Amino acid sequence: MPDPLLYVQAVAASAAVGALLLLAMVSVRRPASAARSSIACGLGLAGGVAVGCYVLRLPVAWPPANALDRLLTLVLPALLTVEAVIGAGRMSPRLAWFLRLSLAAVVGRILLHGSVYLSGPNREWSVAHAAAVLAAFVIGLATTWLLLAWLSRRSPGVSIPLALAICIQAAGVAIMLAGYLGAGAAAAAIAASLIGTTLAVRRTAGFQNPQAIISLGVVALFGLAFIGVYFGRLSLASAVTISFAPLLCWTTELPGLRVRNPWLVGALRLAIVAIPLLVVLGIAMVDFYRHTAPLLGEIHASPAGCLVNFG
Amino acid sequence: MRNSISTLKLVIVLSALVCVGASQSSAADVYSYDGVHSSVSFKARHLDLSWIHGRFNDVSGTFSLDRQDPSKSTFELSIKVDSVDTANEKRDEHLRQPDYFDTKQFPTIDFKSTSVKPITGGYEVTGNFTMHGVTKPITVVLTGGKEIEFKGVKRVGFSTELALKRSDFGFDPKAIGPIGDEALILIDCEGVRQ
Repeated sequence: MPDPLLYVQAVAASAAVGALLLLAMVSVRRPASAARSSIACGLGLAGGVAVGCYVLRLPVAWPPANALDRLLTLVLPALLTVEAVIGAGRMSPRLAWFLRLSLAAVVGRILLHGSVYLSGPNREWSVAHAAAVLAAFVIGLATTWLLLAWLSRRSPGVSIPLALAICIQAAGVAIMLAGYLGAGAAAAAIAASLIGTTLAVRRTAGFQNPQAIISLGVVALFGLAFIGVYFGRLSLASAVTISFAPLLCWTTELPGLRVRNPWLVGALRLAIVAIPLLVVLGIAMVDFYRHTAPLLGEIHASPAGCLVNFG
Repeated sequence: MRNSISTLKLVIVLSALVCVGASQSSAADVYSYDGVHSSVSFKARHLDLSWIHGRFNDVSGTFSLDRQDPSKSTFELSIKVDSVDTANEKRDEHLRQPDYFDTKQFPTIDFKSTSVKPITGGYEVTGNFTMHGVTKPITVVLTGGKEIEFKGVKRVGFSTELALKRSDFGFDPKAIGPIGDEALILIDCEGVRQ
C-alpha cells in the first residue's frame, strides 16, 4: 500500500543524500578534478537511489531475482562504474562512447534474463522476435542518450537532467497506475536522486563532467519503461512516449524558438517535455478509474485504494 | 529354415526374459494429472476478516506409485501461475504482476518429491517446493491413494492441504499487507494411468 508520507520522506531523503554526497566529495579539494567530479556524481546518484529505496522499504534481492533487482543492482552500478572510469581515465570521446554503447547493448538482455521471453521450455519469443525487441530497445536507448549528451554540450543546463527526472517520475506513476508498485517506488527514488545531484552540481562552481547524471537518467528511464511493458502492464505506446519525451528538449534549438536566457530555455524545455507526459498520465488515470476503481467501491476509489483492496 | 526357427525362438525367449526382468525391477504405476477431475485452489485471509478464494486452472504433473515399495514412489506437480483465477479478472491481472507472482519471471510453481513414506490412509511426501523463484523443502500428507478402474482406465486420487507463508518465498512484504501472509493451498487430484 503506497503511503504518501513515506514517499515524501523517501524523495526528500534521496535528493538530500544525493546532493550531500556530491558536495562532500567535491568540497575536499577545490576545484574538483574531472575524476573527482565523476566519482562524486556517481556516489551522489548511487547513494541517493540506495537511501530512497531503503526509506521506501523496497525489497531489492541479491543475487537479483527479477528485472527491477537487475536494473538496481547490476545495470545502474555498472553504468556509474563506466562513467567513473571514463571520467577518471580522461579517455577519448570515441572510446568513452564505445563503453557507454557497449553497456546500452546489453541492458535489455540483462533485464529479460531468466524470463519467459527468453528462457524455459515454453519461451514466449522466438530468437528472431527477441533479437528484434532488443535491437529496437538498444537503438532507442543509444539514440536518446547520444542526442541528449550532444544537447547538453551544445546548450548545457539543469533542464536536461530535470526533464529526465520528471520523465522517470512519470514512468513510475504510469507503471504504478497499471498495477506495479515496486517499479513506481524505484522510479521515485531515482528521480529524486537525479534532482538532488543535479541541483548540487548547479551549486558547485567549476564542476566537470555532469554526463553521469544524464547517462543515469536515460538508462534508468529506458530500463523502467522496458520493465513496465514486459513485466508490468504499461502499454507500449505509453512507454515509447515517456522514453522519448526528453528529446523534446531539442525544441529550444529550433531557429524560431532559440532564446538566450538560460532560465527561459530551461522553463520552455520542461514545459514542452511535460505535455506528452501529462497526456500519458491522463490516459493512465482514466484507464485506472474506468477499469479498476469500480471494483473498489467509493471508499477506495483512488490509486492507493487499488492496492488497499487488492492487497 | 531350421536356423530361422531357432533364431525366432531365441528372440521370443529373450523378449520374455526382458519383459519379466522389467516388471520385476519396476512395479510402479505411472499416472498423469487429470486436469478435468482435479483442482489446485488456494485461500488467503483478507484484512483478517474473511477468506479470498482462488484457483490455478493450468496444472500438470505425473506421479508414480510403487505399491510394493512406496519409498520408490515419486510425485511431481507444475502449476502455471498465469492461470490464476480469483473470479475477478482485474485482480488476477494484478496478481500476475511483479509485486505478487511476477509470472513473466517466475511462470510456474513446482513441486518435486524427494522422499515418500507410507502412512495410514496415504503417504507422507517430502519434496522441494518452488514458488516465486524460491525453493524450500516441504512435507505434505497425501490422503487417498485408492485405485479404481473406470471405463478401462485406472485412476487414483489424492488430496492434501498445505499452509505456506508468502514471506518465506520472497514476496514483497508491503504487498502482503491486507492479504494475510499465510496462504492455504488445497490440492485434489486424480491421476490417470499412462
